[in-house]
Amino acid sequence: MREVPDERRGPTVSDCLELREVTVRYGARPALDSVSLAVPQGAQIAIVGPNGAGKSTLFKALVGLLPIASGEMLLHGQPRGQYKQPIAYVPQREEVDWRFPVTVFDVVAMGRYGQGRWLKRLTAADRASIQQGLEQLDIADLAHRPIGELSGGQQQRVFLARALAQEPHLLLLDEPFTGVDVSTREATLDLLDGLRSRLVTVLVSTHDLDLAARRFDQVVLLNHRLICAGTPQEVFTEENLQQAFSGQMVVVDGRIIVVDQCCCGGEKEDRR
Amino acid sequence: MNRPWMIVVLVVAVAALAVATGFVAAGCGSAGDTGSGPQGALSAGAPSVIAETSFLADIAQNVAGDRLQVSSIAPIGSDPHSFEPTPQDAAKVAKADAVVMNSPGFEPPIDKLISGAGSKDLLVIDASAGLPGAQTDPHFWLDPTKVITYVDNIRAGFTKLDPDGADTYATNAAAYQQRLKELDGWIADRVATIPVSRRLLVTNHESFGRFAARYGFTVVGTILPSAETEAAPSAEGLVNLVKAIKASGAPAIFLETGNSPDLAEQLAREAGIKVITDLYTHSLGPGAMTYIDMMRWNVNHIVEALT
Amino acid sequence: MISWLTEPFSFAFMQRALVASVIVGVVCAIIGCYIVLRSMAFLGDALAHSILPGVAVAYLVGVNLLAGALVAGLLVAIGISFVSRAGTIKEDTAIGIFFAAALALGVVLISTMRTYAVDLTHVLFGNVLGVTNADLWFSGGLAIVVLALVLFLYKKLLVVSFDAILGRTLGLNIHGLRTGLFLMLAATIVVALRTVGVALVAAMLVTPPAAAYLLTRRLPVMMLVSAAIGVISSVAGLYASYYLNVSSGGAIVLVATLIFVVAFLFAPRDGIVWRLRRRTASVRG
Repeated sequence: MREVPDERRGPTVSDCLELREVTVRYGARPALDSVSLAVPQGAQIAIVGPNGAGKSTLFKALVGLLPIASGEMLLHGQPRGQYKQPIAYVPQREEVDWRFPVTVFDVVAMGRYGQGRWLKRLTAADRASIQQGLEQLDIADLAHRPIGELSGGQQQRVFLARALAQEPHLLLLDEPFTGVDVSTREATLDLLDGLRSRLVTVLVSTHDLDLAARRFDQVVLLNHRLICAGTPQEVFTEENLQQAFSGQMVVVDGRIIVVDQCCCGGEKEDRR
Repeated sequence: MNRPWMIVVLVVAVAALAVATGFVAAGCGSAGDTGSGPQGALSAGAPSVIAETSFLADIAQNVAGDRLQVSSIAPIGSDPHSFEPTPQDAAKVAKADAVVMNSPGFEPPIDKLISGAGSKDLLVIDASAGLPGAQTDPHFWLDPTKVITYVDNIRAGFTKLDPDGADTYATNAAAYQQRLKELDGWIADRVATIPVSRRLLVTNHESFGRFAARYGFTVVGTILPSAETEAAPSAEGLVNLVKAIKASGAPAIFLETGNSPDLAEQLAREAGIKVITDLYTHSLGPGAMTYIDMMRWNVNHIVEALT
Repeated sequence: MISWLTEPFSFAFMQRALVASVIVGVVCAIIGCYIVLRSMAFLGDALAHSILPGVAVAYLVGVNLLAGALVAGLLVAIGISFVSRAGTIKEDTAIGIFFAAALALGVVLISTMRTYAVDLTHVLFGNVLGVTNADLWFSGGLAIVVLALVLFLYKKLLVVSFDAILGRTLGLNIHGLRTGLFLMLAATIVVALRTVGVALVAAMLVTPPAAAYLLTRRLPVMMLVSAAIGVISSVAGLYASYYLNVSSGGAIVLVATLIFVVAFLFAPRDGIVWRLRRRTASVRG
């Protein structure tokens, strides 16, 4: 994966996703500022950066929830608006009514709805896919429970299972490791491992720089602008981190400590 | 997971049972569209006749004499505009052979009841048939000379319903019309005792138009701008009314039983006049249990207030 | 005993009342599930009153009053959907605004009518005891259309109601579906209004679904139970009104409410009675 230089490159089949000078605005401020990026099919990328860096914005723009002010977003060479293959998106916090009368199975089954399938009953293939998703996330025994009865971590897994059931080409996970219990974290990581062989492109945003460095081959560092993209070694330099995290970073005894004001205000260390 | 299904099965079973019973019952009862009770021509007992309002019932009963029993749909004292029927009321309509209406289309709640519950053979007697201007103001009955026409229409209707009684109805009708003429004369005499300059009416809504025209009153204004009960008076309208009252020297505002007095009292205070609250215009009432008594009651109150 | 059950329905108007209230009860109960789940409970009452200007205009122009009512209902539904589309103004705020505006517009229009006019709203607000065969065909036809649409759009409406973001991701026209739901609701209300009156419509849209919500865990079951409650309320309410000689529409609403109260107290898991017992048990234990 590389940054795209200014001269235009033709799209290649191996690129699942390509961003060209993409800018997304909230009102007048740019949340994403001229970001250019190319992601090959099957890659698993960690998107990192401070709070408000535009990580969620990137995902929302990818699924069409936010309009692109300028630039181009291409999925398999096609402009975003025309791309018809399933993109699975699991937002950071699901804005759903937890008291809605649906069971775990019902929610995961929604992943099987889509183009041309709105009127048909669930097929055997659908059910198999749903069952597989449930088992993979270790929630098969909860299949018939109303979604409101689950713990936070279990709920997260339901939405992951739903994303899987979509059999997506592109999977976007927004902060899946934040605020969840250990078993859910592990289940998610196992899931990601399992997806490598299936050539599903995965973008995961996270605050955990450590985790990003350890478990991901490719990392994108964002702070409205693209700061660096590449392997963790390439990206996690003091200079890059300084540029991204500015006031939130401190160097102690040759160790870089990034204190992030997200969520629980935890400390993340980046060992060098 | 069994639970919800059990509830569903239980509920649906009960529902199905109830509905089935209802329909079986309907099937076992008299079939078709006609409900139970004697239909059309006289069979067991006299035809049953209903009237929209209590005063109409009284007028019709006078024509019917002993041959028919006329009852009112809207009970005495109720306002037909806001009538809320019960199944027994509907049953009365369903069993009726004829209905006397002031002006079909005038009272939607009762019209609906009649079109819905009334049988196919229900004879509708339009009391105000032939009287011009029903669309603008159907309050004909406050002018006894118009009620003379009502009596003719009712007599014709009863004759159609029960041809054997034609002579009886004619006799009764004539006798009642004579009484109406006497009432008319009596009212004129009473009104004559009011100084001409004070023959001024301010009422709740436009129900006294016919009465005023007949007996030489001027309707200075009404609180509600039309006979539409949803109409709310505009501020400008009320101000104009107060001005008109003061300019004309109208001595009183007349409300019918059931009207809310608040607005009227405000206006009366503003204009320095009194409010009379118990006229019976849409229904009979205590102390006025026949149409003629009702008119006497109203006229007495009006005369008393204006002299 | 049997005669006690059969007597009320020996009258044709009672039979029609039964069929009408069952039809309306079922349709309202099913559409009402969306109303309750999307917190739009007072939309029913609001829409019912919002039709006033449509009726006034229809009267002034000289067209069929029901058509005027329908147009007004649809316009208000579209307006509410549009104003609350972006999410800045919430749905219930939008409802409140349009409700008040429509009612005021209606009153203003009526105040311009200086001549005697039949009480316009009463022309539209029917009574379950005054249902004609024509009304039955009309409301039955509408019921079939609405229920067919609910079935046809079931999955889409489910996704849009539960998780709009997923809906977007799956390529659904969120705004279009929402507007469509509001239109279905407006049409249901206007036709049901004419058949059974305001009080009954507004109540049947909310009370049976609310009771069903407490008793079920899945949407299809909730709809079924809601419809069943609607039917039971209609039947029991009609019987009660006949023998107690009270308003039929009111009796049906009260029966539905009674069922809700029972559900509220005794619903498995969530009922107040069980919750109190659990609390005292845990205090003692």
